[in-house]
Order: sequence, then C-alpha cells, then structure tokens
Amino acid sequence: MSIGGSDLDRAITQLRACRPIPENQVRELCYKARELLIEEGNVVGVDAPVTICGDIHGQFHDLMELFRVGGDVPDTNYLFMGDFVDRGFYSLESFLLLLCLKVRYPDRITLIRGNHESRQITTVYGFYDECLRKYGSANVWRYCCEVFDYLALGALVTGAATSLEPTDGPIAENTNIDIPDGDCDIEIETLNANGEIMYRYARNSDSQSSAASQANSNPASSSPIGPTPSRVGAAGTGATSSANGSSRNDTGAILCVHGGLSPLIDSIDKIRLLDRKQEVPHEGAMCDLLWSDPDEIDGWGLSPRGAGFLFGADIVKCFNHKNDLSLIARAHQLVMEGFKEMFESTIVTVWSAPNYCYRCGNVAAILELGEDGSNAGFVRRSNGERGGGGGGWVLGSNAGPNGNATSESRRLSSVLGDSMQRTRDGPGRRYRVFEAAPQDSRGMPAKKPVADYFL
Amino acid sequence: MSLVLQLSRCRDGAPFCDGREDSADMCNHRQEEAKILVASEDDPNRQLLETRISKDDGYQKQQDTLIVWTEQNGTDMALSFQEPEGCASIWDFVNDVQSQLQLAQNDSLSDDISEHVSPIMLPDPDLGNLHEIENHMRAANSTPGGREALAKFVLSQAYIPKLIPLVEDAEDLESASDLHRLCSIMKMLILLNDTSIIEYVVTDEVVLGVVGALEYDPDFPLHKANHRQYLSDESRFKEVVPIEEQAIKRKIHYTYRLQYLKDVVLARILDDPTFSVLNSLIFFHQVDIVQHLQANGQFLKQLFAIFGPAEQSTQRRKDAVLFIQQCTQIAKSLQAQGRAQLYQNFINNGLLDVIQYALKHQDASVRVAGTEILVSLIDHDALMVRSYIFKAIQEKSKPLTDTLIELLLIEVDLGVKSQMADAIKILLDPNANSASIDALGRTNSDFLAKVRGQLPSMPQTESFIQNFYDESARKLFQPLKDLEGRESMNDLSIQEVSLYGHLVEVLCFFICKHQNRIKYFVLSEGLGVRVAQLMACPEKHLKLTALKYFRTLVGLHDENHNRQMIQHHLFEPILKIVFDTMPRDSLLNSACLEFFEFIKRENIKMIVQHIVETYREKLQTITYVDTFQNLILRYDQMNEPPTTQELDNSFTSVDSDTPGRHLSMINGGKWGQALKDPDADEEAYFNGSDDEDDGLPSAAKAVNGASPMRPLVDYPDDGEDDDILATSAPSASRYTMSSATQTQGAPNPPKPSTSSPPERLSEKRRREEDEEDELLANLSSSGTKRRASLTSNSSVGSLRNLRRKNSNITKDGGGAPNKISLSIPLKSGGEGGESEQ
Repeated sequence: MSIGGSDLDRAITQLRACRPIPENQVRELCYKARELLIEEGNVVGVDAPVTICGDIHGQFHDLMELFRVGGDVPDTNYLFMGDFVDRGFYSLESFLLLLCLKVRYPDRITLIRGNHESRQITTVYGFYDECLRKYGSANVWRYCCEVFDYLALGALVTGAATSLEPTDGPIAENTNIDIPDGDCDIEIETLNANGEIMYRYARNSDSQSSAASQANSNPASSSPIGPTPSRVGAAGTGATSSANGSSRNDTGAILCVHGGLSPLIDSIDKIRLLDRKQEVPHEGAMCDLLWSDPDEIDGWGLSPRGAGFLFGADIVKCFNHKNDLSLIARAHQLVMEGFKEMFESTIVTVWSAPNYCYRCGNVAAILELGEDGSNAGFVRRSNGERGGGGGGWVLGSNAGPNGNATSESRRLSSVLGDSMQRTRDGPGRRYRVFEAAPQDSRGMPAKKPVADYFL
Repeated sequence: MSLVLQLSRCRDGAPFCDGREDSADMCNHRQEEAKILVASEDDPNRQLLETRISKDDGYQKQQDTLIVWTEQNGTDMALSFQEPEGCASIWDFVNDVQSQLQLAQNDSLSDDISEHVSPIMLPDPDLGNLHEIENHMRAANSTPGGREALAKFVLSQAYIPKLIPLVEDAEDLESASDLHRLCSIMKMLILLNDTSIIEYVVTDEVVLGVVGALEYDPDFPLHKANHRQYLSDESRFKEVVPIEEQAIKRKIHYTYRLQYLKDVVLARILDDPTFSVLNSLIFFHQVDIVQHLQANGQFLKQLFAIFGPAEQSTQRRKDAVLFIQQCTQIAKSLQAQGRAQLYQNFINNGLLDVIQYALKHQDASVRVAGTEILVSLIDHDALMVRSYIFKAIQEKSKPLTDTLIELLLIEVDLGVKSQMADAIKILLDPNANSASIDALGRTNSDFLAKVRGQLPSMPQTESFIQNFYDESARKLFQPLKDLEGRESMNDLSIQEVSLYGHLVEVLCFFICKHQNRIKYFVLSEGLGVRVAQLMACPEKHLKLTALKYFRTLVGLHDENHNRQMIQHHLFEPILKIVFDTMPRDSLLNSACLEFFEFIKRENIKMIVQHIVETYREKLQTITYVDTFQNLILRYDQMNEPPTTQELDNSFTSVDSDTPGRHLSMINGGKWGQALKDPDADEEAYFNGSDDEDDGLPSAAKAVNGASPMRPLVDYPDDGEDDDILATSAPSASRYTMSSATQTQGAPNPPKPSTSSPPERLSEKRRREEDEEDELLANLSSSGTKRRASLTSNSSVGSLRNLRRKNSNITKDGGGAPNKISLSIPLKSGGEGGESEQ
C-alpha cells in the first residue's frame, strides 16, 4: 500500500495519539522520506521565520508539549537538530511523527542528524530494543536507520530579523527583572510556556547604527507595533520584500548543527564535500559536526565523549566571521535552563527534552527566529524551480567576506562606519521555555512490556 | 562495591571453573565485598565455595589454570580451571577487585563507621501508621548504614507480606492517600537495591500484592496502572514443550516479572544500581534456565521433534522456532563454553534443518527468526557453520549459502531481504567470529584486536570462500549480469530496486574483504559496467549505491580496477550525475564531489589523466565548486613540462584555460614549488590540524576557503555556454590572486605571518562510543564534568548490548571495519547502567 495524501494524514493522527503505525506503513514512510532527504544538501537552507529545537530523545509527550508551546505544524516552521531517539520510551512514535510531518510538509519542517541517529548508538541506548518490542522484529529499526543515513548534517537559516517584535504577552508573575518596554530594539526575549514574558533584553548601544539603518531601510519590519512577524504569511512568499534589495540584512546566517564545529571544516562550503550517506563515522568531519561541544578553552581540545572535539570561543568567533554567521545554534548537551548562550552570544545550546530521562529535572527550550521583512540578498530554496524536492541551499549567497553576495553589505557597512571586524549582531532571539508535559495528559511513561514469553 | 562472581561447571567434585566477567555483577556501593562463588553444575543451587576476595596480596596464579590463595582462617585454597581463558578472566577479576579495594580504602572511613549502625525497628503496619512508617523509612534511607539495616529488618520480619493486605484495605476504603503512601513505601523498599528483597518481591506469594501497591504512583495521582491484571494473565507464557523441572519453570516466571518491573513498573524511577541489579538477576536466571534446558536431552528431543513428520500443528512449529530464537538470543550472553555446548546440543538435534525450515517459511516473522538464529550461530562460531556447509557440499546436498542466495533473490519482504543480505555478508566475512578467538577477546579485547589484525585467514575459511566463488557467486550476482542488454532502466520494480541495492552493497563488502578473489570475479564478469548501468535509473538512492561501489573501488588504489573503469568509461555516468544535479546542493551531488575530491586528493594519476584528457571541456564548465578546476590543474602540472606549454595551448580552448596556464607560467621557474603549493594546501585541509604547523600561505588559504563556490545566481541554470562565459573571468582572477601571492612570497615558499588558525592538535583522539558524559557531565553542575560516576557498573546488560552492537557492526558491513567494532567492548565502562533507562 502506498502512504500518500489521506493515508499520511491518518498516520499522523494515529502517531499524534502515540500509537505506532503498522510496519508496512513505516516502510512506505521511510522510502518517501528517503526520496525527499536525498534532495537536501548536507547543509540545508532554511528561511526565517523558524523555530529551532534541540534534543527530543523519545519523550513523545514532551514533543506534543513543544508543539503546543511553539505552535503546531504547519503553522510554525520547525527545525529539529537531531537526537530524536533513544533514552525516552517513545522514540519510535516521536521519530515517525516527525518524519510523517516532514513528508507531509517538506518545506515546513527540517530534520538534521544527531549523534543518536546511528545504528551503533541506538542499539545501546534504547531505540533498537523499542522497535524490537513494538514490532517483534528489527525491520522497523532497519528502515529508520536507513533514513538516518540520509538526514542532513546541518542547516543554515537566512533572513532572520535582527530584532524581535515584542510579544504582546503579560509579564510572568515572579519576574522581578526590569523589562524594557517594546519600543527599544529587542534582542532576546524569554517566554514561559504560557507566553508570559520572563525576560527581555534590549540590544546594547553598540549596535545603534545597525538598528538605525534597519529602521531606515525597512521601517515596516522593525516597527515596534504590529503583528508578530513569525506569524505573518507563509515562509517562502516574498511578500514583504518590497524594499527592492537595497536594504541591508545585518544579521548573518545562523548555522544549526547537532554537535558543533570540526577542525577539518573551516568553511560551511567544505561540509558539502562530504558524502553523508553512511553510518556516523568514528572520526572525521562528519563525526565532529555531530559530536563536538563548545567549552571554555582556547582552540581545540579533546572531548571527554571520545568522539568529536571541544572548541573554544576563538574558534567560534573565527568561524562565524569567516562564514558570515551571526550565531551557531546547536543541541547535544543538557542545559538545565533549556538554553545557554556562550561566547558573547556567538553560539547557543538549545535543549528540548524537559525532565530528561524522566528524572533530570531540567526545563526545555525552543528558539524562535523572526523573519526579516526585507528578504533581499538571499536566494530562497524552492521546490519548483529546478523540479527537485525541497531544501536546496543555493551556494555562494553566503560565501563569506570575499564572496560577491556580501560585498554590497560590506560596502554599506563601511559607509555606516560599522566595523566588520567584530562579529555580526545576532538575530533577535525568542526563547520559549517549557516544562515536561503535565502528567495527567499522558499516563505513566513506561516501556512496552514483553508480550509473550517462552523463557 | 560488591563484586559477585559466579563460577559454574564443576566436574567430579573437583571444581573446574570457567567463570568470566560476564557474570560479574558489580556496583552495590554499600557492601564492601567481592566474592567468588562456585556452584555445582549438577545442582546450581548447591554452593561449593563462597569466598570473599580480600585486598591482601595472597593470590597467586600458577601455570595457566590454577589460582591459589590462603583464606583468612589460614586454609589454603586452589581453584583449578579447565580453560586458561576462564582462569585468566577470574584472575583479572581478582586483581580488579583488589585494586578497587585499595582505592576504596582511602575513602572508606565513613563506610566503616556506618557499618556499625544500630538496627532499625518499625511498627507493624496498619492504615493508621503508614505515614509514620514512611517517615522512618525515609530517614533510614538517607544513610548507607540505615539502608542496610532497613533491608535486614524488612527481610527478617517478613515486613512485605504485612504491607500487602493493606493495599486491598485501602482500595476498599478508596483512600488515595494511603494507596500513594503504600506505593512510596514499596518503591523505597525496592530501590534499597537489596538483591534478596528484589528476588523476594517477584515470588508467587507476594508479586501481585507488590505490583498492586505500585499501581498507585503519587507522581501520577490521576492514574492507576494495571500491573496486577497484566501479570496475572497466564496466557502470556507459552510453553512449547512442557518443562518438568518446577524450579526452572518458576525461574522463567520470575525472570519475566523482573523484566516487567524493569521495563514498566520502575522504568521511570530506576537508578543505576537498581537497574544493574535487576539486569544481573535477569541474566543469572536466564543463564540457569538455558543451561538447564540445553542439557536436558529429553526436552531437546521433544523440542526438535516438533519439526518432524509427526507434528501436525504449524502454529506449534512456529512457536518452536521463536522459542529457539529466544534461546539463542539469551545464549549470546552466556560464557563461550556454555554457549558452545548449547549450540552443539542444538545442532546435534537438528538445528540446521530448523534454520532451513524457518528460512523458507511463508510467514515473514518466522523467516526473520530463522535469519536471526542463523546470524547468532555465525556470530558464535563462523568456522563451525562453514564446516557444516562444507560437509553439505561434499555430500552433494544443497549448502546453506545457496539457500540464502536463493532466498535473497526471491524474498518479497524487504526487511527480511536486507537481513538475508546481511547474513550472506557475515557468512562470508573472513574475519567473522569464531568461538575460540572470541573467548580470548572477552577477557582481553586489546589482545583480540591484535589477533584479528594479524591473523591470516584460516585455511578452512579460505577454501570456503574459494568454493563460494567457484560455485555460488555467479548465482548471487546473476541479476546484475542480467542487466546486460536491458534497454531502459526506467521501469525497475520496487523489488528489483531493492535487490540491486543489496547486491551492490554485498559486492562492496566483498571487495573490501576478499581482495583478490572478488577482483578476478568482478573483472572477468564485467560487473562494473552493470553497476554503472544502475546509475541511469531514476531512483536516486540506487544511483547513490552504485556510486558507492565505484568509490569503494577507487579507494582500493588498485590498478586493475582503475584500468577497467577507464576502459569502460565508467566515470562518464558519474559525471553525468554531477551535471544532472548541479549546482543545487543535494546528497547525490555531494557524494559525487566527494568522489572526485578523493581522486584529486589521493592524486590517482591514472584516473586524473583519463578524466581530464577525456572530459576536459566538460570539466571546465563545472565551476560552482573548484574540485574540477583543481583536477585539471593537477593534470596540467603532471603533464606539462614548462617547455611544452605553447603546444598545449594550441588545442585547448582559448579563454577558460588561461588561468591554469597563467599560474604555471608564473611558477615556471620554480616548477617544484608550483607543484607543491596547491598540494600543501589540499593536504592541510584534509589532514586537518595535524599539519597545521606547516603553516599555510594564509592568503592562498583564504582564497581557497572563501571563493570555491561562486554564487549560482549569476548564471542561469541551464545553458552551458553562458556558464562558460560567466565563469571564466572570476576564476581567472582567482588564479591571478593566488599566483600573485606566490610571486610576492618568492623566493622562499610563502610562509604566513598572519595568525594561522588556532587549531592545533598534538594528541591522538580517543575514539569510543561512550557518551555517558552527555548526561553526567551536564548533571554534575560542578565543572568536574568527566567520568565522575561512570566508575563501576559494567552491568550484564551492557555486555549484552555491546555484544549485540558488535555483531551489528559486522552485519552492517557498510565500510565499518572490524577494527572499530572490536574496540567497543573494551570501553564498556559504565554504558550499561544508563543505557536502557
């Protein structure tokens, strides 16, 4: 049977109820996903607005909570940075649901690979056993692992707004921090699961000029009043790009990877030279992207994980500058507060599995990037143009300081006296923090018991 | 830390031991003792020896099979082992324990004090004093001594049976608070992590009461679980052949309940120590069960008779296959000798026929079980399986290899199909396990890694593989051969696509493993051309698989293969994929780029020559990455002595070739340097940090890094003519830039004065799977993020997992060399504890 159209919707409904779909449907789904993912570049291009999520780890009910807090697919665009499976008891349902959504709304959801999307790791940390329990054979696990091999290694978000539209929400009760009002240039905002403002941070004076130029060139987008841009229009519609290309996009692109950087990768373009269709190797660039961690060190260091590296602030800043990035978003490490910005906000860890392993007591977060109204200078990925599937990141548009695409912004910035020596201003970042799904919504989490036994 | 080691197998009263770490269960932090237990083989319940390992240096290993020591009371003891491996592993174990005891000595002060804690007393429970009891227990629970005292009390006073009736009472009264309290108490008792308590709660008398209390979890006040209902359902137990021995039957039930506790009842709240205690209990039970059954001749006869003519019920046959599968699954964690015996007994009773039966079964789930049994068998001892197949060949009956091949070719269930393909790979993997080597490996994986690396393939394996190429290989790859003359690749069925995919993957696997034999086979059968044909199909993943085949070949650096690829113009379809997919970024496109980058990086002259000579003009049009320009450059450097430049100019296209020429002209005087510099640049990138010290010309590096890909927006997607025009100019300037740097830098090779990238790595990275730290490092908020708590729980579960993982890698084949799979069991450190929570 083929899983298309209404079948797919039915599968989504079933998975949303946390019920696995039959094996033959999984197979069809995985084949469909494979066709789609093979069209994606190793670094897939994504347009803002987008909501970036970290590790899920089979915590299905918390994934549902994430969708409740962040908005449902396809209303919100999502980018999941890997580690969908293992540890939690519902890896299968979580991954298949995400995969279904990917197949159903390919332009609305982006999945990249985490270190747990691997045969070796899943046999140790639970996903293999879960498949075996739920289907009686390893077939489903095999199909899923095949899909893992096709997942992109990273994503590059372009067109993100430099400042946030202030949320029109109430202020959270126990907040005693002075919250700037909506008139200034908001860089960071933290909301709780009910959309109440916990924290708001205005961009420092340092970047006045950029804010001013932003306001001048595109008054519409930075107007403090008005609907939240992340809810306006569909991604990929060029509706607001009326600024005829002269406006300057001050925020560089945002690179999303599961782990971090690699000493073998000094430019994003080098990532495209990898053949990613393989089991996550034990070393090399592909391994590093999925395994590395930022750390308070200089340069590179050995990773205690035994795979990947540790990398310091200098590495991140150098990489961001060279690749014209304003931020690296990554997952891979539990942070109790759900997110953690490091190195003067040049890299952020986003963690989306609340109360990890059902006992760590942490909260989770997702990162929302708004859409920069002027979407000039960036070429959209498109499905139609070349007749392929979605997700082609058109190279060259971010070719770094020496590339053509940014020469205009360089010229502009020199006119404005904005030194390019410093890193680009980060995009406006709205973190939504949430806790584990309320317990009455889901029953007691447990593994599926062994059904029959001979021994 | 308590280390319990169980030794089994004793003969004629004289204890022959073959215990191993397998059965070592560590990680109870409250009891400072490690024991060696020797149980009788005839009656596992009869204990022949129990001795505590002391930290005194009184242990000696004599010859290879004897360990002697003096007990605390002065008795001289000796353990004699049948197998040197077993002896070695016990010896390691003893040493291990001793070194841990030494370590523990330093911080054992507090433990010593707490050991003499006063006994605890609790009132008899009733609904009125539950609150009080809970508080008492919580208090006791907070110190190690208190926990121990509590455990002692609970067992000696039969406290649990006193609690159980209260559950029903509270249910009758619908008193949620009492029920929640009972649940908390019960949880606390189990999490005391006392083996005797855990063993006790799954016994028939109390199990339902215990899980009954656990149905009312205060964390989920609105929910009630239905553990009692689940566990009282007797129909879940399938008894294919009646098990006479009641003790064993009981153990089977206990095991099931322990598993249920682990997976369902306690899944959310298990801490590491309890988790490993549960795992090891389950493991010991399973070992006992399987040991008993495999040694029970009567039982085995009945079991295998199910596949005889007398049996009518197909359902019963199916169940029997599943039963055997479960046995082999458990056998994976048995000690090598016990496992060998089990398989021997099974085979003597007709296991191979059962596999043949299962593989041909119409029910896919039985076929899956059949392949899994086979794979476990091969994992256990590939040599043995091969020798049986050999025998079959000599007896002119159909060997298992051929059965597998036939089944792979006709299998319709795509999951089973891929499993069959994996089974074929393992069967023909010359490095696949054999029991004898494996046993060594368990004790010393380092050693094993060495052995595997050096061991010449055994003659028997060699002839087995030779026989495969003589007899079976043609059958296996016939479908590929049949592609010859096929006109269109556009109408492949799903089955065909999947089959070709598997065949090409198997082929890749053989190419890596069988070197010469497969080479002659591939060359003489002309398989390369057939695989290349697959690249014309519309299914991109199949194109990718085909591409991987050529990547594997190129990776061998084998002249014959290279020559054949050149001779048949097999690079053409790959280039075609580049053209079809460029310039948009996609997996297929990247895989092609990687392919050509590899050729360039490795400087495979023969291929560079061929590609550039044949496709130069085509390559020149590919400018969205610099891979192809660099190939041309490399070719030019290879072939152009400075004097013949003009000659070349005459036949190459005018404009676009200039940059390359320009560069070599500038460097004409320093030929060697011109040749070297781009090289150094490349090497540095791929060798990464190790070479960073060489110091690259920073300008050249910037050029290379920053503008390898030109914006595609500049030129239309199709219309190659435009492309050429649009691209030649910028690339020209690029080369001018780099050459300019070089002239500036002359006469010395340009060395950078600017900041070289900060990366610098002198140490070799450790590679291992352990990502424990991900959780732990983050949890321990004190910046000491290393392996603080990984220490000691090499639980049984982890071993089993690791072994499964091990076999998996072998199965996956896809380029994962055995070396890697072998390094894993070494590091097992603490993975298991976390792994399944």
